[in-house]
Amino acid sequence: MTGRQLFEQYQTHSGIWDEMCQDSNIRGQYSKVFDDISELPVELLLQKDKQAGELFMNQGITFTVYSDEAGIEKIFPFDIIPRILTSAEWDHIQQGIKQRLRALNLFLKDIYSEQQILKDNIIPASLIASCPHYTREVFGIRVPHDLYVHISGIDLIRGQDGTFYILEDNLRTPSGVSYMLENREVTKRIFPGMLTSSRARMINNYPLLLHDILGSLSPQQISNPTVALLTPGVYNSAYFEHTFLARQMGIPMVEGRDLLVDDHKVYMKTTAGLQQVHVIYRRLDDDFLDPLVFRPDSALGVPGLMSAYRKGNIAIVNAVGNGVADDKAVYAYVPEMIKYYLNEEIILPNVPTYGMENLDARQHVFDNIHKMVIKRTNQSGGYGMVMGDKASEIEIEEIKAAIIDTPREFIAQPIIKLSTVPCFIDGKLQPRHVDLRPYALCGPNGINIVPGGLTRVALREGSLVVNSSQGGGSKDTWVVDL
Amino acid sequence: MLSRIADSLFWLNRYMERSDFELRVIRTNYILSFDMSMSDDFSWKDVITLFSHTHDEAVLEHGHTISSSLAYLVSNTKNLNSIKVLFTRARENARGVQDNITKEVWEQVNQLYHIVNDPQLEQKITGSRALEIIDLLDQNSTLFYGVTDSTMPRGQGWNFMNLGKFIERCILTIDTTYAHFKKIEHKLTKAQDILFWRGLLLSLSGYELYLKTYTRGQHNNNVVDHIIFNKDFPRSLIYSLVRIKRYLEKVAEDTKLEESVILQRNLGRICSRVEFADLEMIQRESLPHFLYSLRKDLVEFSNQFTRIYFSYA
Repeated sequence: MTGRQLFEQYQTHSGIWDEMCQDSNIRGQYSKVFDDISELPVELLLQKDKQAGELFMNQGITFTVYSDEAGIEKIFPFDIIPRILTSAEWDHIQQGIKQRLRALNLFLKDIYSEQQILKDNIIPASLIASCPHYTREVFGIRVPHDLYVHISGIDLIRGQDGTFYILEDNLRTPSGVSYMLENREVTKRIFPGMLTSSRARMINNYPLLLHDILGSLSPQQISNPTVALLTPGVYNSAYFEHTFLARQMGIPMVEGRDLLVDDHKVYMKTTAGLQQVHVIYRRLDDDFLDPLVFRPDSALGVPGLMSAYRKGNIAIVNAVGNGVADDKAVYAYVPEMIKYYLNEEIILPNVPTYGMENLDARQHVFDNIHKMVIKRTNQSGGYGMVMGDKASEIEIEEIKAAIIDTPREFIAQPIIKLSTVPCFIDGKLQPRHVDLRPYALCGPNGINIVPGGLTRVALREGSLVVNSSQGGGSKDTWVVDL
Repeated sequence: MLSRIADSLFWLNRYMERSDFELRVIRTNYILSFDMSMSDDFSWKDVITLFSHTHDEAVLEHGHTISSSLAYLVSNTKNLNSIKVLFTRARENARGVQDNITKEVWEQVNQLYHIVNDPQLEQKITGSRALEIIDLLDQNSTLFYGVTDSTMPRGQGWNFMNLGKFIERCILTIDTTYAHFKKIEHKLTKAQDILFWRGLLLSLSGYELYLKTYTRGQHNNNVVDHIIFNKDFPRSLIYSLVRIKRYLEKVAEDTKLEESVILQRNLGRICSRVEFADLEMIQRESLPHFLYSLRKDLVEFSNQFTRIYFSYA
């Protein structure tokens, strides 16, 4: 059997946008990949699939699952068939994300200083006051170039008619970019030549762009600032990514215990004594950064870090307190923010979102609960999510009771059937739902988004949850110039 | 360089050196144990004692059969110096310093880790494929040395790695030699034929060099000379000590810490005890005493070194 027969047997779901097929035709962006794979025997595809897994394993791109006393190393599943976007689709996405980030940066500056948007009643002050991620400790702190969100991973999904929606803003410490880069490296190894024949755009300059931005944020005018990546350590599930980025940028990777603060300056402990650090790219949540200000039991942070931050002696990337802008309830107000700060109409729409504090909205959601997904505003990673069409009656009753109890902690959105992409599973091509997370970098010279991003795929049949903690995998993502 | 990184690189290499040596000892003994003539003075219990530093009978029980010895030495996680534990620890250290070692070095350590964490390891090592597995591990360990040598930059990290490697090597050579001479109660005058020394020399990868270098004379004295004074032999004490001295100088030069001088002085004293000694002096002092006090001083030096350069916790 060859790839051609696999494609012939490929069955899309009716009423759902498929990224490769339109009715029974192959979309233009997939034609080259279609031609190439059609020629290959299935045995070879199976072999390539296996080879891809081994490449991840050997490089230690794994996470550990603990069972009994021994940890088992697993890889994040990778699907060998790429997800392909056209340059026109990409331009649209890019504009939308840039617009959104400009507004979110202005919002963060505003909310931690003048709070004009609250005074003008665009966003209810109670919504911010009740947001657990609003960080009073950073009120009034000026950050270099007024940039708060340097690195973002905004999640997009695609609805039935092919419209892209913004699903979630990740403005704190979004992860996954190393998978985007490694997925591409693996594709180069298993399908050499296919990238060039499809004219896929290059992505591997991401670490260099990031490094430039980090260097430019140094609070002091020095020619060669010390930039360090702060990691929670080897037990963090994204540890591979931290080492990957530190290595690619050539910056030291430090843990909290490697740093100390003296006279409001941050130093790292080296074999030659103390050395001052000017910029910290932290992969640690706000809560753990400084035990003197946030969680006192944090052993991962650096006592005194916030005092150095307040004095302007250290730049922290992303800024502290960004959680207020990617809160799921604040998300609903981003279209208003864009209007308010930029006087523009939103380019990439939000998924309609119902705040549960509004009684009319709540009633509407309860009446249509089987078409809704309920999310907790303070959780991510797909945890605490209830899909109205799949949940049992008991679960529904429970979530309703919880909503009535603490409405601020929930939002509801209509279930959107995510678009599908063919995946090579059990020797067959099967449609699976995907989302898209492009990684945007904001620096003093503007916003850069490497073409593509990470496509996460729900590998379980029928599942709409793409998170890696819930059985998700990923795909290489191409932007092709047709 | 961060103190924590230097610490991890140092220990990465100590664990790798220890496991490399242990594998060679296992391989040598495994093959020699099939020779009938060896059976008198050979016992797996000695090998287990060498790497576990214990006389606990319950532990030494493992030495009764080849397969239980191999299982204990290679795959038993209760044995803190089993190959599995050593590679796992080496990898933990490498993982914490991934951005300070090359991708190639990391992949090689990671590869070893996956080999020893194969759920079937114990079954394989105790079965008829034992030698195949030992060879596989040995080859991959050797690859680690090759890849490190051909890809690691010669900066501070390299110096700390080598300090770890040669301090460990020196201690291992002392321990093995001590243990082997103990079998003849450290009596250099008690003549032994080359078969008695073959196990020791093969474990130290110094058998062929020995045969080429020492064509006459009594083996006992020659072996002592070879292991302590032969500068061409990469596992001799003098060879390791000269390397330690060289890498310490480089570290001192890079870091410019005041305490480095004290360290260099202490190491100088240790080195001179070997450099300016001869066989006669050692005989007068008695070999076990010489080895024991050298080891003690070296361990003390290593602790002092750790305090000065790695104090970050």
